[in-house]
Amino acid sequence: MEGRITTNMSAEEILGVLKEEDGYYLCNNERDVSQSDFKNRLMPMTTVRVAPYREATGFFSVEVSGGASVHVDLMRKQVNPFERLRIARKAMPKTLLQTVCRGASLFGYRHYPENVNRFIVREFAKYVDVWRVYDFLNHVPNMIPVFEEVQRAGRILMPSICFSTGKEHTDAYYVEKVQEILEVTGPDVIISIKNHSGLGTPRRIRQLVESICTSCPEVILHYHGCNTDGNDIGRMTSAVLAGVKICDVADHGYGAVYGQAPALTLIQTLEDYGTKAIGLDIKALVQASDILRQERRIYEPFENLFRGHDPTVATYKLTGGAAGSTFEQADKGGFLERMPEILEEMGRVQTELGNWWSVTPGSQILWTTAVNNVLYGRYKRPSLDLKNLILGRYGPLPFYDPQEWICEKVLEYQRSDGKKWHQVLAEEGGEVKLQDADLERERSNLEAELDRPVSDEDLALYLLYPFDAASFFKFEALHGKTWLLPPEVWFRQGGFKSGERITFADEYGKPHYIEIISTRREGSNVITSLLVDHTFHTLSVTLEDKGSHTPPG
Amino acid sequence: MVQKLMFEKILVANRGEIAVRIMRSAQELDIKTVAIYEETDKDAFHITQGDEAICVGPGPRKDYLNIEGIIEAAMKTGAQAIHPGYGFLAENPDFSKACTDAGLVFIGPPPEVIRNLGSKVIARRMAEESGIPVIPATQTLSQGKQGDEEALAFADEYGYPTMIKAVSGGGGRGIRQVEDEKRLLAGLKQSRSEALMSFGNDEIYLEKCVQRPRHVEVQILADHHGNVVHLGSRNCSIQRRHQKLIEIAPSGLKKALTAEICAAAVRAARAAEYLSAGTVEFLVEPDGTFYFLEVNTRIQVEHTVTEMVTGIDLVREQLLIALGEPVSFSQDQVVERGYAIELRINAEDPKNNFFASPGVVQVYQAPGGHGVRLDGAVYQGYEIPRYYDSMMVKLTVYGYTWQEAVDRLARALKGFVILGVKTTIPYFQQILQEPDFIQMKFDTSYIDTHPQLVDYLEEEREMEKISRLIAEINAYGYNPYAQ
Repeated sequence: MEGRITTNMSAEEILGVLKEEDGYYLCNNERDVSQSDFKNRLMPMTTVRVAPYREATGFFSVEVSGGASVHVDLMRKQVNPFERLRIARKAMPKTLLQTVCRGASLFGYRHYPENVNRFIVREFAKYVDVWRVYDFLNHVPNMIPVFEEVQRAGRILMPSICFSTGKEHTDAYYVEKVQEILEVTGPDVIISIKNHSGLGTPRRIRQLVESICTSCPEVILHYHGCNTDGNDIGRMTSAVLAGVKICDVADHGYGAVYGQAPALTLIQTLEDYGTKAIGLDIKALVQASDILRQERRIYEPFENLFRGHDPTVATYKLTGGAAGSTFEQADKGGFLERMPEILEEMGRVQTELGNWWSVTPGSQILWTTAVNNVLYGRYKRPSLDLKNLILGRYGPLPFYDPQEWICEKVLEYQRSDGKKWHQVLAEEGGEVKLQDADLERERSNLEAELDRPVSDEDLALYLLYPFDAASFFKFEALHGKTWLLPPEVWFRQGGFKSGERITFADEYGKPHYIEIISTRREGSNVITSLLVDHTFHTLSVTLEDKGSHTPPG
Repeated sequence: MVQKLMFEKILVANRGEIAVRIMRSAQELDIKTVAIYEETDKDAFHITQGDEAICVGPGPRKDYLNIEGIIEAAMKTGAQAIHPGYGFLAENPDFSKACTDAGLVFIGPPPEVIRNLGSKVIARRMAEESGIPVIPATQTLSQGKQGDEEALAFADEYGYPTMIKAVSGGGGRGIRQVEDEKRLLAGLKQSRSEALMSFGNDEIYLEKCVQRPRHVEVQILADHHGNVVHLGSRNCSIQRRHQKLIEIAPSGLKKALTAEICAAAVRAARAAEYLSAGTVEFLVEPDGTFYFLEVNTRIQVEHTVTEMVTGIDLVREQLLIALGEPVSFSQDQVVERGYAIELRINAEDPKNNFFASPGVVQVYQAPGGHGVRLDGAVYQGYEIPRYYDSMMVKLTVYGYTWQEAVDRLARALKGFVILGVKTTIPYFQQILQEPDFIQMKFDTSYIDTHPQLVDYLEEEREMEKISRLIAEINAYGYNPYAQ
């Protein structure tokens, strides 16, 4: 397909093509759709099943990694995030793989020491071609180590400006931010407009894009939005017409509520304006959705409890990616019925705390504050993260500080030394550069825990999430590569019937089967007899309390 | 055409793989077989392979060693001959004599031959008289202080380390290497005590320690007609604590040296008036100097490598010889082709000092294909008893070249699926990747000088691991790891 961008092109060549081609490209944001609409549960085998069609479609990239997905891979899917990248690369060899990461907290929820961030980026950069990097305060220094490592690895850097609405969010502010980034990175990058909550009208987005293009005419722009209010097609149409070269989209057979808007709708709309999607095979795009419609049934239990678009997002500004998890938390916490109150409080809190961007880890701070405010009284139970935010640990607040009464409630909360909030701010405030970690000591710790040599990839995951990574490695040692199982087996409810046969292929394509012969219960022991590739096994499981289990949905 | 005399029925006085091996050759000669078993061994595979089976007692072990009970079993079942296999009563001259006294044919050498060759001292004398070099050694040591003085004098002359050996020892048992005078004096007492317990005879002697030799042995067949032939050499240098781990045919020595050693073996067999199958063992120093070690008066575990390279069925020959037939071929008809390697897949944990790993064999799948031979006594669901030898199956491979044999062995080992017990397979897989082994550079110190061989990760098959999750999802009714 003419104009198609593939993995056999260098970063320089790709940027050259993006500048020269007349039209726009699409990024399939599988990762964000999974996170926004299916609680991040999309299993690797679904990616593999649809991969041939996505590969044939000719996207600029497919975002398969990043954000919370890395952590969920380890916690809920028991797949190594590096392995998932290898799977995706094998299944889509020509398609660029994309990730999204926070500047100083990468794929985690706290800032990591700089040497840790650099080490982790180097490991992931072995697989990831395109790096969307952002900071929830648009504080560029937080992103610099990632910028440097991505560029050093010869990958495509996509620094992001987080976008929101309100009187402070002017074109001038964003243009200045883009210029600040370009001064650090140089011109060979793609600037991403990260409209993580799907805010603003199409007109507002067009103005923003035009302002940036006027001030920085050589810049290549990418647009990432969510479709929470149902209007991201309008915003993307305006963005492309104003000069954006790449848009994040979803398959129409999958997602398109809190995640991205459907690719085909955007293509059809822009065609009417005479603007073409470059390098795209529409037939393959449609076939991919035909596959995903079938797959989607597996993930139905994980779909959002509040279905349908929500234009009130303009007030509470929750990101698409956070929508699923917050509703899940509310459901598990028993306060689902209070969500309208909480969402209203989120809007209020957002304004009170500085009207910065509601995206990780800021979105978690806003969410926790709003929930605690509703459940326990306003700012009566401030979190440690909120305290750190007000102290400026994450960087300076971009527009204004919270009012004094909030600072007082937060900074004087549970203090035993009697210090007043302004004293605390004066003595403890400001950014703190974390001391570099002793990576070899961390490696030794993990080796001791696992009783085996530890690779750099293993260490990277351990540095991100020490407990969950170690738990995953232990799981994998005992249970193997369970991502090979069909997703419908992984999420099975109610056990298996005698005679049921599970068939699947291993990573080398060799077929295998597990047949359930019988199930016998003896007290707290459940004895399952299985035929595994023609060999008989009897496995006994002693039931333990694994915490309360509520079937999803 | 004259109908040849043939046994109608024989009793196999053994268990495990060797019992099955003997039954197979007997069945090919249309001889009925009787399996014996102890009550503690009633699930053993060999019982199913005989035409008849008889329990010889409650066990464990003692009834397989009960000469009277086994003779009685043979009489009761109408067997005409007894094949002793290896181990148990195979080299017990009293058993051979008891068979003859009961009118049964003992498929092996006559008692006096077993007795003479079983005595290290007599065997050494026979070898010396036949012009075969022997390792400098003492006579049987006197009891008490005098024996200690004889030992010290010998050690003074030949130096340390020196070897203490039991006169009735064999199969690696009853051998102790000592490094100095203090350990020598302590070792004499311990060796006497162990020899008495193991062999019922506390006689011991001292032998010069030949350091880092190769262990080479020659397979012999001798008949009632004065024919003695050898079937080439074997290299059994890879040993752990004097127990052979891997056996190879031919030995890999230079042709002239091999011929010299084989000729010496035939001379030793003639001097001993040997009958049936036997093995003459030698130690060979790096410069080619060789010493007579001992004669094993039985079929050996490793006989399969000789069969693979010569194509001759040694047990069949034993049966025919026992009937009075001459050896079926002449010396010049024996041709060795290629290489054969044999190893023992034992239910042992190499990482835990090769400690036995008894248990139920949950899954057993074995390899096959060209050049792969299995002599086993294990089946899926079999519970390996803790009372007996831990050998599950003997793997022998043939290759036209050494490298081909090594490659085939690696492939065959990879083809095993054995679950439920730990095995020696991963240890052998380590050896097959080890450069000295691949280049055939090994002597009896190989295992001690390659301690890294036990540094392997125990790999469980991916499907077995995944099935564990299926069992958990089935037990909980949901996936506890997806919550």
